Amino acid sequence: MYKNGLSYTGVTFLTLLSHISMLAIVFAKGNYDSILAPVILSAVIIASDLIYFFILKFLKQNTYTIDFLLIGILNMSVIFQSCFGKVSFATKHFIFAILALVCCQAGFKLTQNHRIIESRKYIFYGIIGVLILSILLFTGSRGMWIDLGFITVQPSEFIKPFFVLVCATSLKYQQNKHRVLGIRVVYDNWILIGVTGVIVLLQWWCRDLGSLPTFMAVAGCAFLFRICYPKAKLSKKLIIGLSVLGAAVIVIALKFAPGYVQERLHVDIWSDQNGTGWQQCQALIAIAEGGWFGKGPGNGSLYKVPAANTDIVFEAICEEWGLLVALLAVFMIILLLASSIINTPRSYFHTTLATGASAVFIAQMALNIFGSCNMIPFTGVTIPFISQGGSSMMACGLLAGFLKAGQATVFPVPVRPQQPPQGYPQQNRRVQ
Amino acid sequence: MKSIKRGNKLITMMLFIFLVGMGLLIYKIQSEASFYISRSGVRNLGYIYDCNGEILFDDNAESGSYESGHFKDVGNFIGDASGQMTNTLVAKNMEKLSNYSFTSGIQNKGGKAAIYSTLDHSANEKVYTAFGGKNGCAIAYNYKTGEIYVCVSRPSVDPLKGYENLEEGSLLCKAFYKTVPGSMQKISTTIAAVESMGTDELESKSFSCSGSYTNKTGGKINCHNSYGHGTQGIYEGFANSCNPFFAQLVEDNAFRLDDIIETYRNMGYAVNGDKESRFSIDGIMCQKASTDLEDKNDFNTQWGCMGQGTTMVSPCQMMMWQSAIVNETGEMTMPYLIDKVTNVRGRITEKAKTEYSDRLFSVTAAKEVKDIMLSNGENYSGKIPGFTVGVKSGTAQVKNGAEENSLLTGFDTDPDHPIAFCILIENRTSGEVSTDQIATVLLSSIK
Repeated sequence: MYKNGLSYTGVTFLTLLSHISMLAIVFAKGNYDSILAPVILSAVIIASDLIYFFILKFLKQNTYTIDFLLIGILNMSVIFQSCFGKVSFATKHFIFAILALVCCQAGFKLTQNHRIIESRKYIFYGIIGVLILSILLFTGSRGMWIDLGFITVQPSEFIKPFFVLVCATSLKYQQNKHRVLGIRVVYDNWILIGVTGVIVLLQWWCRDLGSLPTFMAVAGCAFLFRICYPKAKLSKKLIIGLSVLGAAVIVIALKFAPGYVQERLHVDIWSDQNGTGWQQCQALIAIAEGGWFGKGPGNGSLYKVPAANTDIVFEAICEEWGLLVALLAVFMIILLLASSIINTPRSYFHTTLATGASAVFIAQMALNIFGSCNMIPFTGVTIPFISQGGSSMMACGLLAGFLKAGQATVFPVPVRPQQPPQGYPQQNRRVQ
Repeated sequence: MKSIKRGNKLITMMLFIFLVGMGLLIYKIQSEASFYISRSGVRNLGYIYDCNGEILFDDNAESGSYESGHFKDVGNFIGDASGQMTNTLVAKNMEKLSNYSFTSGIQNKGGKAAIYSTLDHSANEKVYTAFGGKNGCAIAYNYKTGEIYVCVSRPSVDPLKGYENLEEGSLLCKAFYKTVPGSMQKISTTIAAVESMGTDELESKSFSCSGSYTNKTGGKINCHNSYGHGTQGIYEGFANSCNPFFAQLVEDNAFRLDDIIETYRNMGYAVNGDKESRFSIDGIMCQKASTDLEDKNDFNTQWGCMGQGTTMVSPCQMMMWQSAIVNETGEMTMPYLIDKVTNVRGRITEKAKTEYSDRLFSVTAAKEVKDIMLSNGENYSGKIPGFTVGVKSGTAQVKNGAEENSLLTGFDTDPDHPIAFCILIENRTSGEVSTDQIATVLLSSIK
């Protein structure tokens, strides 16, 4: 039923091996004052790996692909974040990594049964409403953060998973049409248009335009599913029409974008290397200095630049670990998304859910990496699971849970064959 | 199931677009990494050599490493990495000099990144010295291949001695910046005349000079020879650099203003407020010529055609026009300074090749003006001995007439010594070093 190539033990070994290899590099090439620093880091990473693998044995799931990839990425990220500037232990990031794992499980349990979700979709609209209200009331028109004293929260990050949830839909829902003024409409679709509009206005209001492409990517996928659903195949005219419409929207949006956005579209960062282009110039110089193999963990200097562990984290990794390792980290996230293609979601709802979650991950990675490398305007979004930031980590955890739900859905219940064919993995063995 | 597969296709498509972007990113990083390093505080730059292997730039040089003034003749042209000068060969080509590769990082020892220039340091020093105490510039190149051999600009700077108490203009290579061309402009006007009325008609024209000429709008055009040159054809008028002759030529009915403007624009002038532009020689930016020509009977327009008024030309561009004339093609041989570039491992990554501009003017105009310049050059056989040259001199009034600059441009017709040049001496007074003396040194020192 599922394309599982490796055994539980095999995947456990591979994940551990990847982390141990990285830790060995920290010991060998790392910059640390005391050997205690890499020892603590190694102990925590290996222990958390083993504990999570142990917990996984007690979780009854059809597939564990997402879990293994997620722990692989998260602890890789903890190692990266612990080494910027000097090897220490990024306690805060580690805590948020654990919370991301918890959120993943929560997202999985929440969306495993799509019938329950669909029947209570109004709750998620409500949650989005509350989050929007919190932004309106607490962040101010030019802010994104709510300071709770001991912690700062970015409500717009939490809107993302819930927006993905409301964007997901099922065939049954789309067939439930009502006649309004002689037109047959699906209420949910019109509500979604309204919610999308509100979110766009909100992002504009609080000048969080960096997240706007992410929301638009999710909404775009959702509307594509809804528009194309009744047709047997995507019509060329429709695709061309939508592409033209999309291009027109982008052109108009850019034309009326605020001054600082227009500036970023045309800025030559090198002509103002010590001014507005400083962050990106330093980031690109860091990549060049890191080369393929990096300067070594803790030996970088980009950590001194603001947002080195969030907005320009890709370059910080490139500098210390080299472009190859940075690409490997990105590849791991791509694998996370590609697992949905291999372990195909079992329902239309979960397909739309997985597509929405993938759209968030891909848009954020593209905005962060290409923006910081001056290929597109620089925004302030994070790389899922790699950048520091609790709100982002937990939101991404929820989204990863949605991906997992698509691959381990409750309906339909997988039917186990009475006599497995020769060569089929044993059913009592946990498999990836 | 079809709908579910559609979701997979959508995810695949998004991932594909992202991966294409990552591919482009890797390519961008690979191709631009040396540039990024060149903009960082940490770097190790290779040498710049002249055509004989002499070092023209050494980033690690200290005072005492080289003879005093070793780099002074190329100081404001080759430049250094201090950031004090922005339009120099070093400043514009830092990434090529960077002893860095993405795989091995910065090589502090044994890096072989280098620029092998076409410049002849020995000739450059001789020309620099020939200026004596005068300021100005001289530039010369091979009009067949485009190799720049000499580029001197005084006052200059010795990068090893620092940047304090410098004379004004020390940090600019004047060959690339516009200046008043004086009568050298008559070359362009003669080209325009051939284009407008043809060789036969131009040669049939003759105008009289009595020391001055009052034009159709009442403006008085004085000649440098107050006794007058009498009646002259184009060859004599050009050789005498006679202002009344050219004023009357510009006024002539057969010489249309539109033709002058068109020819000038083809040659690269920004005319009557056209957007001024620059061109690049291995990254070094050179200003293009500009002028205003509104009414050919007008005093200012006539002076504009004779190299005063608002007319401005860079010595480098003037030199390049000589190639289009002497080669009899109407196409400029594009100058270059970098013969080849080697990377950190010593592998040649760039090799210069000769390139030509679009056609600026007709072959007929090129041949005619070449003949006129060679005819004028015969008068210089004693002043520039040993060389068969086509030349045009100029005297440009600057600073509202307070100073006069002396200029000379031309070419050597010897096929084994195909040199085009332009020389400027600022604020020259009688008895001081002359442009033809510098031209003699320049042509003699380029082997």
